[in-house]
Amino acid sequence: MSTLTTQPPAGPAPAPARRGPRRRGLFASNPVVIKELRGRMRGPRAFIVLTVYLLLMSTFVTLLYVVYVASTNNVYSGTNAQLIGKFVFGAVVGIELLLVCFIAPAFTAGAISGERERQTYDLLRTTLLPARSLVLGKLASALSYILLLLVAAFPLQSLAFLLGGVAPEEVLIATGLLVATAFLFGASGIFFSSLMRRTLGSTVLTYAFALMATLGLPLILVALVPLGSLFFNNTPPGPAAETVLFYAFGVLVAINPIATAVATEFLLINQQSAFYFTVPLSNGATLPFISPWLPFMIFCFVMGCIMTIISILAVRRAER
Amino acid sequence: MPAIIETKNLTKRYGPLLAVDSLSLSVERGAIYGFVGPNGAGKTTTMRMMTTLLQPTSGEAWIAGASVTRDPRGVRRAIGYMPDFFGVYDDMKVWEYLDFFAACYEVPEAARPALINDLLELVDLNHRRDAMVDTLSRGMKQRLCLARTLAHDPQILILDEPASGLDPRARIEIRELLLELSRLGKTIFFSTHILADVAEICTQVGIVEAGKLVAQGSLDEMQRRLAPHRRLHVTLLGKVEEAQQVLAGHAGVLAVKRQEMSAASDGQPEPPAVLDVDFSGDDQEVSQLLQDLMSHGSPVLHFTESVHDLEDVFMQATKGIVS
Repeated sequence: MSTLTTQPPAGPAPAPARRGPRRRGLFASNPVVIKELRGRMRGPRAFIVLTVYLLLMSTFVTLLYVVYVASTNNVYSGTNAQLIGKFVFGAVVGIELLLVCFIAPAFTAGAISGERERQTYDLLRTTLLPARSLVLGKLASALSYILLLLVAAFPLQSLAFLLGGVAPEEVLIATGLLVATAFLFGASGIFFSSLMRRTLGSTVLTYAFALMATLGLPLILVALVPLGSLFFNNTPPGPAAETVLFYAFGVLVAINPIATAVATEFLLINQQSAFYFTVPLSNGATLPFISPWLPFMIFCFVMGCIMTIISILAVRRAER
Repeated sequence: MPAIIETKNLTKRYGPLLAVDSLSLSVERGAIYGFVGPNGAGKTTTMRMMTTLLQPTSGEAWIAGASVTRDPRGVRRAIGYMPDFFGVYDDMKVWEYLDFFAACYEVPEAARPALINDLLELVDLNHRRDAMVDTLSRGMKQRLCLARTLAHDPQILILDEPASGLDPRARIEIRELLLELSRLGKTIFFSTHILADVAEICTQVGIVEAGKLVAQGSLDEMQRRLAPHRRLHVTLLGKVEEAQQVLAGHAGVLAVKRQEMSAASDGQPEPPAVLDVDFSGDDQEVSQLLQDLMSHGSPVLHFTESVHDLEDVFMQATKGIVS
């Protein structure tokens, strides 16, 4: 059991004592990662969770498949199989996206405040463990478990390949979106848990953030469309105003995982483009756009990094 | 002897409340320092500042030469800290717990298995190596926490109420363990309100009340300073009045008082009388006093000096105020 963590170097310890970690990279040498993963994977729980998760997903996909096939007449024509493939793939990614939105906060919302409540926070802070290792270790161990869930669902996603209709870039983009979303929401959990004293408060805020980002923004978006048409009912906006409006809309889409996923898929189908597209203006000119998945991933990365850095600073600060 | 822990005017203010008030203390290398005071006196706050967990409002503390405000990592390297709660993870095995904290203290991985063995041996938990931490008894948890503080072989142990909430047996075990660690060369600084523990193992004592250090020194010093006269008990078989006169006339005797006794019952010989003598003088003079009594023919049965115990000292030093 003692060699469970990582492979100890053969022979005597390489460095003099006191300078142990930071040699084998962030992940393997971080005691927090090792401790968290040991705890999470202990006993039958991890196995059961994974099994139940895959069973539910497969049942869901099977049901979708059956329903979809029953609702179309001739199953065996090629175009229909492709449609089913697209549908199954979209459904699996959609579920995974929802899952990420709600599991990532659950794994991290208690990361730091839980240590406070368990009264182990003071112990950790009197050790030589840097604040950075604590925060990044918590985040990395939570994300690695989410990654495991995502990877475990790959075979279900690949069912779509049997049916056709799904391009490799779609799979790559979908995976990228999922990982980026997991990072953002995981970091937001760490962020709130490092600022709040209690896990309860941190959980509430983290889920409020997740709900706002996933459901709140689309609702605002939906509300904006009729409002906009009402506003411009009589006088059509000039090209400048139109440009601003379109870009503002684009930004709103690109900070929401669901809108981003839908818009990206829509553009892939209608404009056959994974990277950029154009929107025609009323005066005949066209506006260039980047496909929303790219700005979304950059947004997640930047926002997640900012939240993580603030968390590290909050943990580092001595109590006053 | 150089001081290994030193605080200078250490102060912590929470709004209008002065939790620790210009506290200056020093602890010698190798000492077992008992930090005594009533609940709410500021013991824990002081220790949290000494362990870099809490920023002092003003003042400074040096632990093994490192400043708590300017070199917190240097301080953390030198100390093992045990708070007044257990702080154990419920989803960990005993050896994993020690492994985790050893890793946090940057003990190289290859050195850890042997270290964990030694630590478990020291606190006598080897047989529970693979038990989950939350199944341990209170005393075992406390010993495990003590083992954790030793993971990086610190020079100084700072222990907050190490014996609180333990049954007598577990308390004695912790006490033995502290003595053992002291023999291994560790300086031990611990807070307590159990005076018996202090009297039995401490080499230095600091008494704190309402955020102020009201007395500090070795146990003997404290007794001399706070209880300046000695109290002798003389047990006589008879001739009590004469002895009283002899004593009252002797230089250095401050007061003589006869202890109240229950009256002799019928048929029983009269019980010996006991005189309490408050006396200021050194051992020579005490001996002279006894000789005088003997030369006057007093039938002395016992001649003893009562040792002022720490409780007396404590009651004299503190006034019962709590900030």
